[in-house]
Amino acid sequence: MNRIRDAINRIDLRKFRFWIQLFFFVLFVYGAYFAIDLGRELPIFSCGYNRETGGTCYFLALQHQLARPWDRLFSTASIGVLTGFLTFLAWFIIFNKAWCGYACPLGTLQDWITSFRKMLKIPYGTYSQSQYKALKKIKYIFLFIVIVFPLLLGIGLLDGEWRGAFCKMCPGRLITPLFTGDVSQWTIDFSTNTAIFLTTFGLGFTVLFFVGSFIKKRFFCFFCPMSAMHYIFSDWALLKLRKDGEKCTKCGDCYNVCDMQIKDIADDVTSKNILRDDCIFCMKCVAACPEEDALHVDILNMKVFTSTKGGFTKRMGMDKPNKDENDEK
Amino acid sequence: MRTMRNRRKIETQMERQNRHKAMESVAVLDKLKNDFSKPLEAMNYFYDLFERVYCKRESLHDRSVKVGTLCIQVPYEIIYALDAVPVRLCNGFHTDDEIGSDFAPSKACPLVKATVGQFSSGNFVDRPDLVVSPTTCDQKSKAGAIIESMGYPIYDMEFPRTKESEESREYWRRSVRKFTKDLSKELGVKLTRSKLKKTIRRIGYAQYLYHRLNTLRKSDNPPILGVDMFLVTNAFFFDRLESWIEAVERLVEECAAKTEEESATYQNSPRIVYTGSPPIFPNLKIPLLIEQSDGLIVADETCSSNRMFNDMISVDEWFLYDMVDSISDKYLKGCTCPIFTKNSDRIRRIINLVKEYHAEGVVYQAFAGCQVYEMEQRSVLSAMEKEGIPILYLESDYSPSHLGQLTTRIEAFIESLKNRRRKKACAISQE
Repeated sequence: MNRIRDAINRIDLRKFRFWIQLFFFVLFVYGAYFAIDLGRELPIFSCGYNRETGGTCYFLALQHQLARPWDRLFSTASIGVLTGFLTFLAWFIIFNKAWCGYACPLGTLQDWITSFRKMLKIPYGTYSQSQYKALKKIKYIFLFIVIVFPLLLGIGLLDGEWRGAFCKMCPGRLITPLFTGDVSQWTIDFSTNTAIFLTTFGLGFTVLFFVGSFIKKRFFCFFCPMSAMHYIFSDWALLKLRKDGEKCTKCGDCYNVCDMQIKDIADDVTSKNILRDDCIFCMKCVAACPEEDALHVDILNMKVFTSTKGGFTKRMGMDKPNKDENDEK
Repeated sequence: MRTMRNRRKIETQMERQNRHKAMESVAVLDKLKNDFSKPLEAMNYFYDLFERVYCKRESLHDRSVKVGTLCIQVPYEIIYALDAVPVRLCNGFHTDDEIGSDFAPSKACPLVKATVGQFSSGNFVDRPDLVVSPTTCDQKSKAGAIIESMGYPIYDMEFPRTKESEESREYWRRSVRKFTKDLSKELGVKLTRSKLKKTIRRIGYAQYLYHRLNTLRKSDNPPILGVDMFLVTNAFFFDRLESWIEAVERLVEECAAKTEEESATYQNSPRIVYTGSPPIFPNLKIPLLIEQSDGLIVADETCSSNRMFNDMISVDEWFLYDMVDSISDKYLKGCTCPIFTKNSDRIRRIINLVKEYHAEGVVYQAFAGCQVYEMEQRSVLSAMEKEGIPILYLESDYSPSHLGQLTTRIEAFIESLKNRRRKKACAISQE
């Protein structure tokens, strides 16, 4: 048992993530080819506009369901809305935000763009703390659009052209179908002014997605309303990211590798639950922590992956003398 | 009569200094070698090393460019990657302390005075070609200018006095980037990705070895004395990296074997965490007194030992841009130097060390004249009181006097720790 645990803690997280992400990317982008359908309640941006998807983003269904007239929304006819939500919760609770870091096709794509940038040896960009604090609020505005706009539609305060407003703005609608050869979404809908605005926004956001994630690691995730939605329910999740502040030296190694620039991961030594709203649960921080058990991933109260000196030094290539001579290509 | 006088060799000032320094060194080394039972075989390398350098005055790096450093914040990784050798010049000699007294106020810190003193005498085994002085505490910052006035090339490396803010992190990162560029220009060597990666891993491996030794010290049967540990970490100041690594590898091996042996060597000695002003060879006075009085230092929080090795570098993208920034973070973020505005990190570290190493008490030493350590004393003492950890605060300097008074206090403290242990054992057996 100890040996297994030790092997897990020494895992090469980069490789582990790469293969899992590839698996989920194929599953969610090409799932239909294998006759896989995991439903319409997935807590990731696996877009339903892609006809070959192996399971659909919950926001597509949610916006659709919430847009019904209020008298019907609050009647027994809407039990489906409730079960849909519960299914979403059930999916989410298993993996917590690890859906973002491991399963979301858009997230994976951004990591691949990062790898491409690395191949070109171009440094990544970062936000200053003030920019960061301003930008991180945007995802809550999007979440507001996802949930409140359909409700307003239901009572007739908004016109039908606002139906599925967020989807029209979301880069996922344009990007995921691309992988199955469908470019039909790359258009501007000139039918009404609202449609022009929404689809132009979507197109612009998509361009920004590619440019942004080339410069900034996980650029889009700062704005993702699904990430905001996750955070609301993350306390109930089974998978936890925990920190033992006593053991933390605040060295900032975790902060240094964090794609989302979450400062609390290094500086907060009092909270036990260190998951923050921007977190994508990639576990890079745990892998980069040199202190024994300072950061760990728990299922219920069992540590499944924890920071160890041995794991750290192995991953950084510091556990053996002259390690470079063998692995330098 | 005349021929007699000519034949008698008159000792020059430098020769006299060297004789005094050799005497100081031998006195300490003799105690280390002979005063304790069951010495470690692998420690002989270090005893020899100090004798070679400080008594026989053997040069270790005569062919390399040497970069002198005045604090731990100067990144060793970058210096090594630029084909130069870092030599830390923080000094522990009473002889140099006395020479330095002419250049600093009488109440200044002995470490700073000794460092300045050595520069004024110009008496180096491995003379630095360039001296890097990070602006850490007031006295060190000002010492840089004094040393410069003696004709040494000094590079002031700007260091922030707060570390929590994003501004200070960025400021220090810029400082390190600038240092990297300037040093590379000065030495005429280009910094390459593979070289820096290699040195990061090399130093990381040295740290890894240090941590392995420390892990062994956590056991009920700690294999190594605190004074020996200080000697090992002190050697890192100036030794050839490769030889140091090999020697510590042997030491780790021997210690691991010794821990597994059944007969415990220091089982009855109260376990102590040492914190405060750094013991630097040959000023190992306080650690020696502790261990001669049957205490055992199981861990420390000082810049001549733990603070040098504790925090390791993590790099996300192994390119120069990320490596240099990661290096700078290591030297600022985890540092528990008392020069920073707040000291909660230092207190947390000490408490954590006490818990992890099952220590029974803390000895806090401040050099008379080291303002920052003296000023932090109250806050650390009250924090320890809150945690129920016994702590002894001592003030000392480099002079060989006051030994009697220090011995009495340390012996009394260790005796009280033994009493506590007995009482605890009684309480447990009564239950």
